[in-house]
Amino acid sequence: MNSLKFDTTNLICGLLFMAIGIFFAYQSFELDLGTAFRMGPGYFPFILACALMLFGIIILVQSARVQGEPIGHIAWRGMLFILPAPILFGLTVRGLGFVPSLFMTALFACFASGRMKPLTAIVLSVALTIFCVLVFSYGLGLPFRRFGPWLGL
Amino acid sequence: MKILNAVLGATALAALSLFSASANAQGYPERQITMVVPFSAGGPTDTVTRLVAESMSKDLGQQIIVENVGGAGGTLGAARVANAEPDGYTLLLHHIGMATSATLYRKLPYDTLNAFEYVGLVTEVPMTLLARKDMEATDLKGLIDYAKANQDKVTVANAGIGAASHLCGMLFMSAIETSLVTVPYKGTGPAMTDLLGGQVDIMCDQTTNTTKQIQAGTVKAYAVTSPERLDVLKDLPTVKEAGLPQMEVGIWHGIYAPKGTPKEAIDKLSKALQVALKDPNVAARFVELGTKPSPEADATPEALKAKLEGEIARWKPVIEAAGQYAD
Amino acid sequence: MDLLNNLALGFSTASSLANLFFCLIGVLLGTLIGVLPGIGPTATIAMLLPITFQLEPVSSLIMLAGIYYGAQYGGSTTAILINLPGESSSAVTAIDGYQMARKGKAGAALAIAALGSFFAGTVSTFLVAIFAPPLTEIALQFGAAEYFSLMVVGLVSSIALAHGSMVKALAMVVLGLLLGLVGTDIYTGTPRFTLGIREYSDGLNFVAVAVGVFGIAEILRNLENEKSRTVLMAKVSGLMPTKEDFKAMIAPVLRGTVIGSVLGILPGGGAILAAFASYTIEKKVSKNPQEFGQGAVAGVAGPESANNAGAQTSFIPLLTLGIPANPVMALMIGAMIIQGIVPGPNVATEQPALFWGIIASMWIGNLMLVVLNLPLIGLWVKLLTIPYYVLFPIIMAFCSIGVYSVNSNVYDLYSVAFFGLIGYVLSKLRCEPAPLLLGFVLGPLLEENLRRAMILSRGDPSTFVTRPISATLLFIAVVVLVIVFLPSVKAKREAVFQEED
Repeated sequence: MNSLKFDTTNLICGLLFMAIGIFFAYQSFELDLGTAFRMGPGYFPFILACALMLFGIIILVQSARVQGEPIGHIAWRGMLFILPAPILFGLTVRGLGFVPSLFMTALFACFASGRMKPLTAIVLSVALTIFCVLVFSYGLGLPFRRFGPWLGL
Repeated sequence: MKILNAVLGATALAALSLFSASANAQGYPERQITMVVPFSAGGPTDTVTRLVAESMSKDLGQQIIVENVGGAGGTLGAARVANAEPDGYTLLLHHIGMATSATLYRKLPYDTLNAFEYVGLVTEVPMTLLARKDMEATDLKGLIDYAKANQDKVTVANAGIGAASHLCGMLFMSAIETSLVTVPYKGTGPAMTDLLGGQVDIMCDQTTNTTKQIQAGTVKAYAVTSPERLDVLKDLPTVKEAGLPQMEVGIWHGIYAPKGTPKEAIDKLSKALQVALKDPNVAARFVELGTKPSPEADATPEALKAKLEGEIARWKPVIEAAGQYAD
Repeated sequence: MDLLNNLALGFSTASSLANLFFCLIGVLLGTLIGVLPGIGPTATIAMLLPITFQLEPVSSLIMLAGIYYGAQYGGSTTAILINLPGESSSAVTAIDGYQMARKGKAGAALAIAALGSFFAGTVSTFLVAIFAPPLTEIALQFGAAEYFSLMVVGLVSSIALAHGSMVKALAMVVLGLLLGLVGTDIYTGTPRFTLGIREYSDGLNFVAVAVGVFGIAEILRNLENEKSRTVLMAKVSGLMPTKEDFKAMIAPVLRGTVIGSVLGILPGGGAILAAFASYTIEKKVSKNPQEFGQGAVAGVAGPESANNAGAQTSFIPLLTLGIPANPVMALMIGAMIIQGIVPGPNVATEQPALFWGIIASMWIGNLMLVVLNLPLIGLWVKLLTIPYYVLFPIIMAFCSIGVYSVNSNVYDLYSVAFFGLIGYVLSKLRCEPAPLLLGFVLGPLLEENLRRAMILSRGDPSTFVTRPISATLLFIAVVVLVIVFLPSVKAKREAVFQEED
């Protein structure tokens, strides 16, 4: 055991909540606070932001007392491929259209797993795209363009 | 691999069929048209759009699909259409908010008067001035007197900034030159609930939302803002009859296209709109909503353009006097 | 007897062959679309709404109602199987349902959810039939002060959602409240915390936040060390609940039904509290509160029943006042208007066949749902045997489509990614996502009603205690607070003393 008994998880957690609290407090301060009887748009969020900072401090203080389990592995690869997937869809769905955009999104997300083989990924993405186009585009008639203007049409 | 080939084949085929249908105003429309409603599905504007779109599809021979792009008081949907390809395949159906947002929003991503081509007016939904059931005043005059005598006590509900009820409430206060306590809600539902429960005093909203409540006697109605009395509410005087002609207002709806859309396409759309507005089915549904289709002369680009310009000028001072903006 | 006549009329309308067919189609479609991960009831109805426009009014509304239950049920299924709630109420189901699934009891959890929902649906359908008009009167007594106090009760109760640190749970609630305030302030029109992005001026999309903090975060957790351990559960022990499970679910289902029925009537969003409230109560009355969060049967049975009961009774304000209680009900109103029926207080007298037909079809729809889904449980559970690396790209695709389809807003997709990251980081820091989601739902309601109450009382804060319903609710909040804090304070003290020994 470490002589300096700090629970890193709670340390980070407390700091994070404090940081978010400060962000919201700062933002609310730029709004009109008003008074308790005639609240402005910033009043309620400012109170909440202060509460959040307070909780952050409490968690921080607690982190110095109890030793918790370590944070463990972090899914770096997962974050690298999973999180951008919906963004990719959002950036391309109107331009490229539903079909290519969905295919790319699925294919991209596939690479988040080290177990996925390239061929499986392509087959899966193709099958998924066909299924979604049939269900959402033809079946439910959602107003998505299947192929968008970027394809030079 | 077989699947892959099949998909590639299908993709190529689809791409080809789209390609052959490239923009050619002569044969317009050659593929389905998207009509953007800048509000979420199920609301009054969405309803109007779907009714009209279905009928216009028949005349155009191509399907019009309705896409709901809600948010920011309708300005997100309008911005989407303003920036869309001006090929006649993306349209916008917007209501009075098109004119009021020009003042309510100090930063708009489009120039309201110069970003669109006009197709025509669709309908004008009147508003009704209501109060809670147990309000003492029996006519509009009495209500105005009551409001003036109890300025800082009388509450006016609205469904949020830019909503029909918000506009009408502002207009009422400006017409009687009295400022009352405004109570905003998120949507018409909760505002109407509180009016029914007697938690707030006054509300002014579209007939779409109010007709049934008036008929059931759950609220007290004072006047309708249309130039003539409504068939469904024969006993309700117009604002003119009741002595407040400045309150004459309607939630008008119009169809727009992005600036630069070919004239042939606009003409075809206007004609289809005029046909749709004569469709007895559309007319019947509109009556149930407490409104009626715009006359043929109004379902034209010129009429819509004139309406938009006039309404921007009309609402600017009202909104500026209230001093409340949405950004 | 009027009621019997009315019910008879309703059942004869609803059980015509065509209407039965549309009810079945609705339930089936709702379940199938709703069970796709990331697509909950709101997205499902928004997608399927146009389909119903071509039908007769009664049939179309019956079908829509069917879609609604079906989608809600489907949403619970994904909550249990892959921790992906499609709406606020199934967020609660996800807490213990997903843990049951991890322990190989996915089938039991699904069956409990189905049976609990059916029972609650049956009871509350009759409640709707019998008490709709008088209940509406009570609902109208709820003004801003009452709603504020009700939200306070919900907020106080939320602490029980946590099964780890209480401070962290509170912090998560507060964070959720803050996130819920993102968007335009309705009182002044000022945009708040939108970072200047106009697409966020109507607030963050609930589905995007829920999918992010629950679904995406869960995918990332599962991807953490996939080389060293096999993710998810290959073992599935028995599809049906055991005798003990049945015993354990009876009382929670009854309590959940009552809570859900009561809260569902309130037009201002009472129904969203139902599942959370039920969970809180179950955890409090349970002999083994430590089981909650680890796969407690009561933690699935109670909230699911409450949720379904609330879903039924939220038709009351719609049918008696013509006012929607939630976004789904607003869509139903749109459908009615398109059909030429303008909903209002007189629907029951002007269109008795429609009114009672819908009520009867609620029960029939619930019955179909159970009959349909009990055999399907085997199929759903089989989905768990799909290797995870195949499953998650599929989830990502459906989530993207589901979130985008609600409002065609690409910024909602960006918030999915952002909240996925936040959710993952917070879960690494041992913070639970459920309190955050509750706060997110309550945030705007709490502030709105607080400020509205102050406006209506002309700035007099005593309005909260002088109005009887509000005062009662606040009293309940205090009692809950005492009950929640006393034992934990006591336990802490004991723990401290033990340490000192």
